[in-house]
This record gives sequence, C-alpha cells and structure tokens, in this order.
Amino acid sequence: MLVTATSREPRRWRPAGRFGRLGLQTTPGRIRALAAVAVLVIAGFYLVASIAVGNARDGLRVIGHDAGPQVLATGDLYFALGDLDSQVASILLTGRESSPGARQQQLRRYSQDRAVANRAALQAAELSAGDPADQAAVRSILDGLGQYERLASRAMVLDEQAHHPAGPPPANVIAVYRQATDLMTLELLPPAYNLTLEGGATVREAYTAKRSAVSSGRLWVALAGLVVIAALAALQFFVAARFRRRLNFALAVATLGLIVLTVSAVRLLSGEAAHLQAAKTSGFDSILTMSRARAISNSLHADERRFLLDPGRADTYSLAYLDKSQTVLYVASADLSEYYTALGASMKAYRANPQAVRFLGFYGDEARAHPGPAVSAALSRFQQFQADDQRIRQLAEAGHDRQAVMLLTGRTAGSPGYDFDRYDQAVVSLIGQHRATFDQAIRAGDRELGRSVLGNWAALLPLAALGAAVLIVAGVWARLAEYR
Amino acid sequence: MNRGRVKAGGWVSAVVTLALGLSLAACSAAGPASIVGQQTLRIGVKADQPGLGQRLPGGRFAGFDVDVARYVAARLGVRPDHITFVPVTSATREAVLENGSVDMVIATYSITPERETKVTFGGPYYVAHQDTMVRADDTAIRSVHDLKGKRLCAVTGSNSWKRVTQELNITATLTPAASYSECVAMLLDRKVDAISTDDLILAGYAARSSTAVRIVNAPFSYERYGIGIRKGDLSGCEAVNKAVSQMYLDGTAAALLQKWFGRTRLQLDTHVPQFEGCG
Repeated sequence: MLVTATSREPRRWRPAGRFGRLGLQTTPGRIRALAAVAVLVIAGFYLVASIAVGNARDGLRVIGHDAGPQVLATGDLYFALGDLDSQVASILLTGRESSPGARQQQLRRYSQDRAVANRAALQAAELSAGDPADQAAVRSILDGLGQYERLASRAMVLDEQAHHPAGPPPANVIAVYRQATDLMTLELLPPAYNLTLEGGATVREAYTAKRSAVSSGRLWVALAGLVVIAALAALQFFVAARFRRRLNFALAVATLGLIVLTVSAVRLLSGEAAHLQAAKTSGFDSILTMSRARAISNSLHADERRFLLDPGRADTYSLAYLDKSQTVLYVASADLSEYYTALGASMKAYRANPQAVRFLGFYGDEARAHPGPAVSAALSRFQQFQADDQRIRQLAEAGHDRQAVMLLTGRTAGSPGYDFDRYDQAVVSLIGQHRATFDQAIRAGDRELGRSVLGNWAALLPLAALGAAVLIVAGVWARLAEYR
Repeated sequence: MNRGRVKAGGWVSAVVTLALGLSLAACSAAGPASIVGQQTLRIGVKADQPGLGQRLPGGRFAGFDVDVARYVAARLGVRPDHITFVPVTSATREAVLENGSVDMVIATYSITPERETKVTFGGPYYVAHQDTMVRADDTAIRSVHDLKGKRLCAVTGSNSWKRVTQELNITATLTPAASYSECVAMLLDRKVDAISTDDLILAGYAARSSTAVRIVNAPFSYERYGIGIRKGDLSGCEAVNKAVSQMYLDGTAAALLQKWFGRTRLQLDTHVPQFEGCG
C-alpha cells in the first residue's frame, strides 16, 4: 500500500509534512524509500520461504529418518520376539517325533529370531537416543530377552529328556514354558509394541503439523512473491518515468530472478507436500497397519500351538485367538465357529466385488485404502489359514489331539504350517510394496530439497535474497549518483 | 470516489480472507473435539464396584479406576477440582460416549473388537483375567467348564457371560442382572450359582464378604481394561497412552494396585500393558 501512496506522488505542491521529514518530497528520497521497501519485502519473502522449506525438511526428517525408521525397527523387534516364543512352542509340541531335519530347521529359525531380535533392539536403542523413557524400555527388553532365553533353553532341555510323543509335554516342561511365555507376553512384547505405536504417534503428529504447514506455506510464499514482484515493478516504473529510461537492467534482473524463485519455491513446496502425503498415507500407514497385522497373525499361529501344548490354558488361548483374529480382520461373530462362517461370507462378497469391504480391523483399513491384487492375495491366504485352524480345532474337539498336533506341525505342501508360511509371505510382499512407496517418496523429497540451481534450498534462499538486495541497491545507486 | 483506495481495500480484504481461510483450514484439520486441551473433564466411572469405582455415602467416588482417572486427567492438564465423575453402568458406557455426556470412560471397560467399532480405546491400563466366584460352601465348581447346567449371573452390557456361554460354548442358564452388586446379592440368596467376571471385580466383592464367597482361581482370559473416549479422537488416545506409560514408569500404577488389591490373593502385574493402538 505504500506503493500506491507513493505512486500518486507527482503532486509536487503538497506541503512538506510527515513525508517531508523522511525526505519523501524529493526524487532521491522517494527512490531510497521505494528501494528500502523492496529490500524489506524481500527479507519478508526470505523469512516466509525459509520457514516453509524448513517445515518440509522437518517433516521429511521425522517421517523418513527418525520416528519412521524407529517404527520399522521396533516392528521387526516385536515380530522376532513373538516368533521366538512361537518356535519354542513348536519344538515342545513336536517332542521326539520331529525328523532330524525338521528339528534342525526349528532350531535354526529360533537362533535366527534371536539374532534379529538382538539386532533390532540395538537399532531401536540407537534411534531412541535422547529419550530416556524409550531407552529404559529397550533396556528392559534386552534384559528380559536374556532371561527368556534361559527359561526357553531349560524347557527345551527338559523336553528332550522327556522324549515324549507329539502333543503336550509333561507337566514339568509346561511349567517352565509357562514362565517363559508369561515373561514374553507380559514383559517383553508390550514395551516393544508400545515403542512402535509411540513412533507411529510421533509420525502422525509431525505429518499433521508439517504437511498443513507446508501447504499453507506454499500460499504464503506465493503471496510474498507477488508482493516482492509488485514492489520491484513499482520501483522500476518510478525510475523509468523519472529518468526517461526504458529499463533499469539490475532491477529487471532482480525481478526476473524473484519470479523464477517464487515459482520454483511454490513448485518445490507443492512437491514436498505431495511427497509427505505419499510417504505417510500410501507408505507409512500401511506399513504400520500391516506390520501389526503380521505380528498378530504370527501370534495367532503361536496360539494354535499353545492351545494344543498346554491343555490347562486351552480356554485362554482359544479366547485370545478369537480376539486377535478379530483385531486382524473383524466380522461380527460371537464365537470362533461364527467367525469362520462370517469370514467366509465376507470374503465371498469381497472376491465378487473388491469394493465391497464388509470387514473392519487391520485388513479392513488396508483393503479400503489400497485395494489391489497384493491385499487380495494376503486376504485369501488368511482365509485359508483360518480354514486350517477350523480343521485343527475340530480334530481336537473330537478328541483326536494327536492328529491335530500332526496336522499343525506338518510343513509339507497343503499342510497348515505350509499355508501359514505362504500367508506370511503374502503379507511380507504387501509390506514390501508399501515400503518401496515410502522409500521412494522420502528419497524424492530429500532430492528435491537438495536440488536447485544453486544446490541446497537452505543455501539458495539467503543467497537469492541477498543477491536481489544487492541488485536493487546497484540499480538505484547509479540513478541516485546523478543527484550528487 | 477514490478508486485507488477501493482497490487497496479489495487487496486487504483478499489478504485477510486468505489468512482467515488458512487459519480455519488449520483448525478444521484437527477433527472432532479432542480431550486434549480441555479445561474440564467429565469421566464415567462405576458407582457400585467396590475397589474399582464406588460412590461413597458423602457422594465422593473412590477406587482403582477413579485413581487412574485422576492420574490421567492430571497428565492431560486438568485440575483435580475440574473433574466431574459421572456414574455409568456396563450397559450405558458406549451410549454416554457417543452422545457426548461424558468425555472419558474408565469403568472396568474391557477392550473388545466389537466395542472398538463404536469407541476409541486408550490403554489398556490393566489386564485382568476372567475368573469365577461361587458360594464358599460350593466345592463342585472348580473351573469355568463346571458351570455347565448351573445358573450364571448375566449383567446387561457386560461381556463376561458371553465369554462363557458364547465363546466357550458352555451351556449355563443365564439369569439377568443390572450390576455385579446385584449378582453378589443373588449369589448369597442362592438365586444364581456363580458369577463369572474379571478377577479385579471379584476381588473387590470377596474382600467385603470373604467368608460367604470363594473365588475359584481358574483364570481363563485376558481382559484388557481400556480408557474409552469418543471414536476417532486420535490425539486424545495418544495422550492417554502417554499418561498410562508414565503411570507405570513412575511407580504410580504399582502403588495404586497395591493400595486397592494388595490385601487380596490376586497376582498383580506391575508391568506396562501392551497398548491397543489408536489408529
């Protein structure tokens, strides 16, 4: 508005007043004032743009390099811990009837899980540096893991000594296994899961704040750019009119530079907002949802084993199985047999029309947000896994415990163990797809922030603002010199 | 008529509109009213559950759930005198959250997938186990399976009897009641043979009439006590989880469990439970 006030200036007879004291009644005074205004609005533009770019950088840092990776690391930790206990249950359940090859394989997976858990715990510890509560949680997991391994080893040694047929081991083995599995469920798994959730909350918070800051920052940058260009244009016109020259070269260069800068800053911020959104909604959210689905599915498989392993707690494990199944994929049902039926019906409807997602839970979220062959494949294998579960429970209920155990522990094609592994592979590949989307979006965001005519945007902005200010001073300097 | 001023005015109003639009957009992005940032909280608790949530003769509320509610509210920045406790029953818990007459429910409220379709749960702040209570002279019932053919008390809105008759398919005869206090009275009057619900609830009654009743001590489920808030309040749920983590970290949880259930024979778990997750 100062611009409009001064442009109506030619009425030279106006008495020297407030403007007079500032020297605004003379041409050099007005040029100085206009130039000062232009430099000031450039400073404002610089401020607005660097805040917006800073928001984009912060968002990428938290989601892509800080809380995001922590969520992935603690997710791996949770899965490996759960699988550790599941493998122990499997070994105890098989007893002496496992072929040497199968036993080797079970033990190999057990040590793999242990290695993954240790590695993931160390990574989580590194990422939680600076947060004492998180560090305490990771420390307690590492301590507990040592204790768990001792109990598990003891149970396995006792089990080997018992030399029992496939099925529930003797009471002394079950007693030690109960201690181990309780330690796992009560003291190790909860802090790992809570760390994952906490990381998820941090990502959500950062995303909500930063993405809206980047999108509104984009509008503010556009607005500030327009004001800068208007101020420069006013200065250009005033100088041109006063000195009867067509163009002030330095001012023209500054104006052109700032037009280019504004347009590319707005484009950058639009791009960053889009990358943040892609990383969060097409990548991170699904990775978190499906990693939780994978971990809980794995503990479903473990509950099948524990159900047969520890008859004294069979009720507890059956009820937990239903609750967990409904967390993974919810269909209204009062008990397990209703669940199998309702699952079958809703899967049939889904296959007929993948838009008809009549279920909730983790799979409900995923199927609604990202329909496609990957989620359909995981769903049909989940259904197969549940059908196998029904067979196993029917055998157990009819008193054929031994057959149920043999069916569950088998790993040949078409056996429940084989089906579960295939299901797990489908979930892993679904997570892998989202992981690729996530990594791609974060890389693109980083790349664009680091890539401009002058390298990094953080370096470009002050240089460009300074350059424009220098050009303005240079542009008016020669004209002002004519008055000296 | 000064055209320059009109133009300038238009420009100003455009900027103001833009700024207002931006700030409004920022507000609406926050979603439905959250329990975060509230000055006052109305918290639904049980009024007749000894040890958990009970209205005392003076009108004050006391119990483990009530103390947890005070702790969580304090962590959310609400002053103790700005908390209003509202009595709720098992049957009204979803309704009072959905119609907005309370902001939060901490009332032995087990997280179930079905309830999660209507309510967002923070926590759990404790994992209880379902067990069975019978008259002290009844030695025939030793596990939940012995309830076959017996009269089981069924509290409206509670999930516990469904676990027995539906999920475990045990054919007990259901006798409806409005609350567990009523169930205990019916048990002592020999109108029902058993009450099956969370060990924390049973412990509260057993402490009052310890010679007349007996807890079977055959737990068979994980009952995750959640903090119910309005569906979709994600930042509220995350704040509640932070508060619960803190409650276990600073030893308050262990102290409160000891305060309310230390004298019973219950095995108390003082490790932070695995949270349900907000999203």
